Amino acid sequence: MNLELNFMAQGLAAAIAEARIKGVIETAPCFASMLVHYEPELIGFDDLSAELAKLVAGLGPSDALELESRLWYFPAVYLDPWTRACVDDYIAKIAPKTPDPELMVELNGLRDTDDFVRVHSGTEYWVASLGFWPGLPFMMALDPRAKMTAPKYNPPRTWTPGGAIGLGGASTAIYPEALPGGYQIFARTPVPIWDRAQRFAAFEGSICLFRPGDRVRFVPCSVAEFEAIEREVADGTYQYNMVGYGKFSVALYKSWTASLGEGRRS
Amino acid sequence: MSFTVVKPGLETSVQDWPGRYGYWNQGFPPSGPMDSWSFRLANLLVGNAPGAAGLECQYMGPTLRFDDAAIFAVTGADMQPTLDGVPVPLWESVAAQPGQVLAMAFAKLGTRAYIAVAGGIEVEPWLGSRATFHKAGIGGMGGYAVKPGQTVPTGAPATEARAGRRVKAEARPVISTDRRWEIEVVAGPNDDWIDAEGHERFLSTDWKLSGKSDRTGFRLDGPDWTFTEKAMNKAPEHGSLPSNIIDQGYPLGAINLAGQTPIILVNDGPSMGGFINPYTVPQAAFWKLAQSKPGEVYRFRAVSVAEAQGLARSLSALCSEASIQS
Repeated sequence: MNLELNFMAQGLAAAIAEARIKGVIETAPCFASMLVHYEPELIGFDDLSAELAKLVAGLGPSDALELESRLWYFPAVYLDPWTRACVDDYIAKIAPKTPDPELMVELNGLRDTDDFVRVHSGTEYWVASLGFWPGLPFMMALDPRAKMTAPKYNPPRTWTPGGAIGLGGASTAIYPEALPGGYQIFARTPVPIWDRAQRFAAFEGSICLFRPGDRVRFVPCSVAEFEAIEREVADGTYQYNMVGYGKFSVALYKSWTASLGEGRRS
Repeated sequence: MSFTVVKPGLETSVQDWPGRYGYWNQGFPPSGPMDSWSFRLANLLVGNAPGAAGLECQYMGPTLRFDDAAIFAVTGADMQPTLDGVPVPLWESVAAQPGQVLAMAFAKLGTRAYIAVAGGIEVEPWLGSRATFHKAGIGGMGGYAVKPGQTVPTGAPATEARAGRRVKAEARPVISTDRRWEIEVVAGPNDDWIDAEGHERFLSTDWKLSGKSDRTGFRLDGPDWTFTEKAMNKAPEHGSLPSNIIDQGYPLGAINLAGQTPIILVNDGPSMGGFINPYTVPQAAFWKLAQSKPGEVYRFRAVSVAEAQGLARSLSALCSEASIQS
């Protein structure tokens, strides 16, 4: 899979929102597909399909797309004690396995876990879609040299620490709260992406932080920094670190990836 | 205005219709009543808008004490409601005096009953809806099913709210008494991953509703599925099982094939995931899912998109003042 289809899905979502087609309630772009929710009493399937076909044709090649895209910086403790304890607990109680960071190293031809941390934190991630749990982002590495893959847990974990960062298939996710899960986990952020109490302005009235088309960068931090940020979150003074002036140009992105040589970023 | 929860029943939650729309791309399902036919009629009986917030009762209903004089109606499953011990008719608006107790028992027929109170339940809306989505702890009474001792606020009744309004017999859903249901399905979105034998098997099998079913998904027990080349021979990023696909949006009502187990994704279901959906149950058939019990049998009947939408229109037409007699 390439990101191109997701760019098209997000471009189409924006075009549908702009076209204000009568009867269209909402859309949900996914990795390589698009879900459109409509009210059939206001528009029939055939009429809607015709309208959507026009919009798809009007999108043109993906190169022409410029997508709204905020960039979020997320502090994260890699190789942290919390996900390690969770993995150890799984190994002890459910099934033996190679611990997750070591498995990532092994499966992706890396030197060691430090190398893994450099590669994983050395790229921006693209929020391709949200789902499984409200607000849970499915993210793809934008730097093709940082693309890694991993199988999902079998059987799945019964719990994962809230804020854990994991990778399954080719996608990276942040667990909004303590949840069951299947991704390989190796880092944890103290910054909430889910705010039921709606205390932080960054959520713009929602209780989920992200929108499809956002970008995320993980900034490695220490356990002491984690705990300091955790306190700021608890007392409501934490300032989300977001850069909101950019648009994401698919043409510029593609010419950049084309300019890269083969091989792994380090 | 309010009523108080004396006993909560098995899992009784505040719902409104059509629920929480507009947040699918953040992972929120609509929630709302599973049998919106019975739900809407309950509201119309008490003079509310058809979508006003009311209670959905599952398997065993609650016991409620009215704090103020109220007009209420019970529809859907027969949980043998009584008011201070006197049987209350279903499908009819009833007056309660302050302090009177509405008690409901196990469902004798059907599975989900609905209670509407004139003025509607007025809890704080979350993301535009009062519907409870307990998986995320939002909406309704603090995010979850009602609990003993809670006081549930209700709004001002419409001036025309009164007792003795009845739903005409021909406008009520007929709950199956032989434990068998014919459920409409529309093929797709991933019907091309199932081979011809697989389709024929799906439509000619008695599928049994599993006990592991709730407002998230209805699991079905039945034979294994067979697949087309598309499912068997695909890029590894789809995943290792024939029913795995690159994560995609799930429509409400999707028959989601998790490995070999079909799960009908209902009102509180996931918005996306990595399994195919060979068929989709249209909205107009959801009331049947809502009123069926584990162990009961589904036979699926394929309909076109146009037929499914026609059924939804007929159902909406029934959920109107024309169906009420005074």
